[in-house]
Amino acid sequence: MAAQLPDMAATLTPGAQQPLPSLVSSRRLRWQKIGGALRLWVPAGILILLLFLCFVWPYIYTIPPGDTGSILDASLPPFSPGHWLGTDPNGVDIFSMLVYGGQVSFEISLAVTAVGMIIGGVIGLTAGYFGGWVDSVLSRVIDVLIAFPALVLVLAVAEVLQPSETHLIWALSVFSVPAFARVVRGSTLTIRTLPYITAARLSGTSNRKIIFKHVMPNVIPGVITFSLLGIGIIVILEGAVDFLGLGIQVPQPSWGAMIAKGQNVLTAEPQYVLIPSIVLLIFVMSLNLLGDALRERWGVR
Amino acid sequence: MTPAPDNTAPADNDNDKQPLLSVRDLVQEFVVREAGGARGGVVQALSSVSFDIMPGETLGIVGETGSGKSTLARAVLQAPRPKSGSVVFRGKELTRLHGRSLVAARRDMQFVWQDPFGSLDPKWQIRSIVEEPLAAHHVGSSSSRRKRAEELLDLVGLDPARYAKRHPRELSGGQAQRVAIARAVALEPSLLICDEAVSSLDVLIQAQVLNLFERLRRELGLSYLFIAHDLALVKQVSDRVAVMYLGKFCEVGPGESVYKHPLHPYTKALLDSIPSTEPGAARGATTLRGEPPSPINPPSGCRFRTRCPRAVEKCAAEVPKPRELGPGHLVACHFPLTEEPPAGSAGSVPSQTAVPSVPSTAEVQG
Amino acid sequence: MTDALLEVEDLRVAFAAGGREVRAVDGISYKVDPGRTLAIIGESGSGKTVGCRAIMGLLPTGTEISGSARLRGTELIGLSDSQLRKHRGSDMAMVFQDPARSLNPTMRVGKQITEAIRTHRKVSKKDARDQAVELLRLVRIPAPERRFNEYPHQLSGGMRQRVVIAMALACRPRLLIADEATTALDVTTQAQIMELLLELQQELDMALIFISHDLGLAASYADEVVVMYAGKIVEQAPAKRLFGASGTVKMRYTRALLDAIPHLERPAHTELPVVSGRPPDTSMLLAGCSFAPRCPSAADDCTAKAPALTEHAPGHRWACWHPCENGGAA
Repeated sequence: MAAQLPDMAATLTPGAQQPLPSLVSSRRLRWQKIGGALRLWVPAGILILLLFLCFVWPYIYTIPPGDTGSILDASLPPFSPGHWLGTDPNGVDIFSMLVYGGQVSFEISLAVTAVGMIIGGVIGLTAGYFGGWVDSVLSRVIDVLIAFPALVLVLAVAEVLQPSETHLIWALSVFSVPAFARVVRGSTLTIRTLPYITAARLSGTSNRKIIFKHVMPNVIPGVITFSLLGIGIIVILEGAVDFLGLGIQVPQPSWGAMIAKGQNVLTAEPQYVLIPSIVLLIFVMSLNLLGDALRERWGVR
Repeated sequence: MTPAPDNTAPADNDNDKQPLLSVRDLVQEFVVREAGGARGGVVQALSSVSFDIMPGETLGIVGETGSGKSTLARAVLQAPRPKSGSVVFRGKELTRLHGRSLVAARRDMQFVWQDPFGSLDPKWQIRSIVEEPLAAHHVGSSSSRRKRAEELLDLVGLDPARYAKRHPRELSGGQAQRVAIARAVALEPSLLICDEAVSSLDVLIQAQVLNLFERLRRELGLSYLFIAHDLALVKQVSDRVAVMYLGKFCEVGPGESVYKHPLHPYTKALLDSIPSTEPGAARGATTLRGEPPSPINPPSGCRFRTRCPRAVEKCAAEVPKPRELGPGHLVACHFPLTEEPPAGSAGSVPSQTAVPSVPSTAEVQG
Repeated sequence: MTDALLEVEDLRVAFAAGGREVRAVDGISYKVDPGRTLAIIGESGSGKTVGCRAIMGLLPTGTEISGSARLRGTELIGLSDSQLRKHRGSDMAMVFQDPARSLNPTMRVGKQITEAIRTHRKVSKKDARDQAVELLRLVRIPAPERRFNEYPHQLSGGMRQRVVIAMALACRPRLLIADEATTALDVTTQAQIMELLLELQQELDMALIFISHDLGLAASYADEVVVMYAGKIVEQAPAKRLFGASGTVKMRYTRALLDAIPHLERPAHTELPVVSGRPPDTSMLLAGCSFAPRCPSAADDCTAKAPALTEHAPGHRWACWHPCENGGAA
C-alpha cells in the first residue's frame, strides 16, 4: 500500500512528519502478487488441458481410432484435413494415438503412484510413528524393495507373464512403494518430535487420533508434492518400457511405442518422434512446476 | 534436594497439606551417539534431583544451558521417562503408570512450551486446538465443548469471534502462546509446567503473558513449575526458586532469600552477571572462570568446582549435600557464602574480575 | 562533529513481500564517534537488524535502499558488492547472533580465521597462522594454539562466539557491529562476552554498535542509546541520561519497555505494567505515530500526525507529542 500523501493544504503542526513516499515500485508489487498465482495455475492449467484432451475430448468429438487406419491415409503430414497432426506410415491418426496413448500413460502412472502412496504411505507412517523394532523391521523391508532393480523386474515379468497393463502397474509399484515409504517415514519422524504431538498426547488424545488428525494432515502436503514428481518419473519409465516393446503391446498405442516406431524414420520424418516427445516433455515439466508451486504455497520443506 | 520435610509446615493444621508434586532422586541420562551410531558417552542430564511443590505454589527453576532444567520438566511429565527416581503427583506414582492410567493421572498436569508455534498444529483451527483436551477426555457434548473453548479463549484475552476459526500461522507469537495456555488450562489442571514459556516473546508481549499467568494463578489457583534462564523473570513469578547447575540443584529457597542472600557461589555469579539498568553501576564482576564442563564427564565432587573461585580439594573429593541454612533455604556447597572463603582457594567471591586466561589446575576436569 | 566514524542519514529500507511494500527501516539517522559504543534497542520488527545489514550490504537483492551511510566519509549505500567487500572486514565487521551458524562446521576454527585474514591482506600462510593465534589470544581463549586446530562443535557457545569475534577483528576494523551477539548465550557467558567487547574496544580503539532487545545491556554497556520502533528511531540519548535513578526517559515506548522488564527489586507476583497490542505490521503503516494504537497516553494528535524526531534537550532526541514527565513512570 503506498503511503498516503498528506493533504498539502492542511496546516501541519511544526515538527510533524510526513509519511515518506514508497521505495518499492508498484510494478514490482503487482508482479509479485501475480507471479505466485501464475506459477501455480499455468502448469495446473496445462495438466487439466491434457487430461481433458485424453479423457473427455474423444467422447465429445469423434476422433479417428488410435490403433487402426486406412492405408490410403498413410503418412499424411500435419495439418491435413481430418488428421490435424497427420498420420503414421500405417495410416493411423497421430493425434488419436496421442490421446489413447495418453489415457494409458495417465492410468498407469496414476495407479502406480496410488499404490505407492497407499502401501508405501502406510509402511512409512507406521515405521516413523512407532519407531523402535517396528521401524527397524519395516525399514529393512523398504531397503529390500529399493534394492530390486525395478526395470529388470519389469523385463522379467514381461518375459514370463503376458505383458499387460496390470502387470506393468505391479512391476512399477516395486519402485514407487519404497520411494513413498521413505518420504513418508522421514516426514513422520520430523513431525513426531514437534511439540504439538507431545501436546496432543498430554491432552490425552489416543495414538490413532494423533496419527489421523495430527500426523497425516501435516505429512500429506509433502507427499502430494512428491507424488507429482513421481508421476512424471513413472510416465517416463513406462514410456521406456513400451519403447522396449515390453509394456503396452501394439496395436494399443502408447507414447513410448510411438517414439520407438518413429526412430526408423527419424531423419526423414522427425515428427513421429518429436510430437510424442514434446507432449511427454510438456506433461512432465508441468508436473514438476506444479509440484514446485504447491511446495512454495504449502511451505513444505 | 528435599526442602524441609512436612514437619516444618504448620504441624497441627491441615494434615492434607500434602505436596501437589513430590519428586525424589530423579535421574535422567542420554546416550550420545557418535557419527555412525556408536556410543559416544552418556550425558548425565539429571543427577538425583528432589523437590516438592505445594498446592498454589510457584517453583521457579533457573539455570543456564546444560543445567538440565528442560530435561527436568520432561522427566516430571514422563516424556521421556526418567531413568530412575520417583515422581508423585497428587498421590500417584507416575513412573509406574502406563497407557490410559498415565493419561488419567497426568490430566491435572499440563505443559507450555517455549515455541508457541511448535506447540500448535498448523493445520488445526484455534478452537479445535483448545478443545482437544476436552474431546480426548470426553468432557461434555460437542456443543458444550465448543462453548467452553470460547470461554477459554476469552479467559486468555483472545476474542473468540475473531480468533476461534483462525489458524496458528495467522497469529503473532504472543497470541499463539495464549492459545497454548488456553489449551493447557482447559481441563483445569492443578499444575502447569512452563518451559521457557515467554523466552521467545518480545519484551512487551512477554509482560502481557506474564500477567496472564499471574491472573490465572489467582483465578484458578494454579501451581506452576516455571523454568527459565532469565533470573529476574523467575523471581518475578515464583514463590520459591531453585538454581540448577549441570543436573543438580545448587540452591533452593524462597525467592527473596535466594536473590538477596545467595548462599551458593554459582547463584551469586549468576546474579552478578545480570546487566542492570543503572548506568555506570559497578558492572557485574564476572567471577566465573572458564567454560561449562561437559555433561558427559561431569567433575567429581561438586560439579561447580571447576569454575568456582572458592574451590579447594574437599570440593573435588566430596559431593556437597544440601543443608538448610535459612528458613526453607537450602544450599549444596561445602563453603557457602555465609562463611569466609576456605584457606587455599582463589579468594572471596565478589571482588575479582577474573578473566579466563591460562587454565589453572582447578579447571582441569576431574 | 564532522569526524564521526559512521554517519547514517535518512536511511530507508523497503522490500516487496506478498504484494505489499514492507518498510523495514523508515528514515533513520544517527552518528557513531570513533571509540564509542552505541546500542540500538528494539523489539522484533523494529528494523534494528535490517538497518545495520543495509550498511554492511548484507541484504538480499531486490531490497530497495535509499539514504546515506558514510563510513569515514565514504558513502556505503549504493556501492556494489565487490566495492563493499573491500570495506567489510577491514573497516567494518559484523558479528551475529548464532555462533553455530556463523562458523563452518566442517572447517577447523583456525583456518576460518586465517581465511578471514588472507582475504584482506597479502600475508604468508605462516604469518596468517601466527596472527590467528594472536587473535584467539586477544579474545581470551585459553590455549589458543590448541584451539586453532579444533572444529566448532568442540567448542562451547561462548567460545564459538569468541572465535567469531576473532574473525571479525582479523583486520582491525574501525567499527564492529554486534547483532544480538549475546542473545543466544547464557547470562554468565553474555557478561563475559560484553566485557570482552568493551576491552577490545579500548585496546583497538574501535567503535561498537550493538543491537539488542535488552535495555539492561544498553544501560550497562553503552555510551549512547537509540531506541527503534516500527522502522523509526523514537528516542536517542546518552545512556546516562536515560537510565538509572535520574533517568529521563521521554518517549512512551521506551518507558513501556523499561517498565515491562522484570526487575529484581520488584516483589514476586506483582503485575507488570503492560501495553496492549503488538508491534505494527510495517507494510501497513498509519499516518500518525506508530506507537499510538498501543500507547496509554495517546491523544487525537498522536493518531493524526507522526511526531518527528527532534532534539528537545541537549543530546536527547525523541519523537513524541506527549512525552513522559521527568523520570517517573507514565
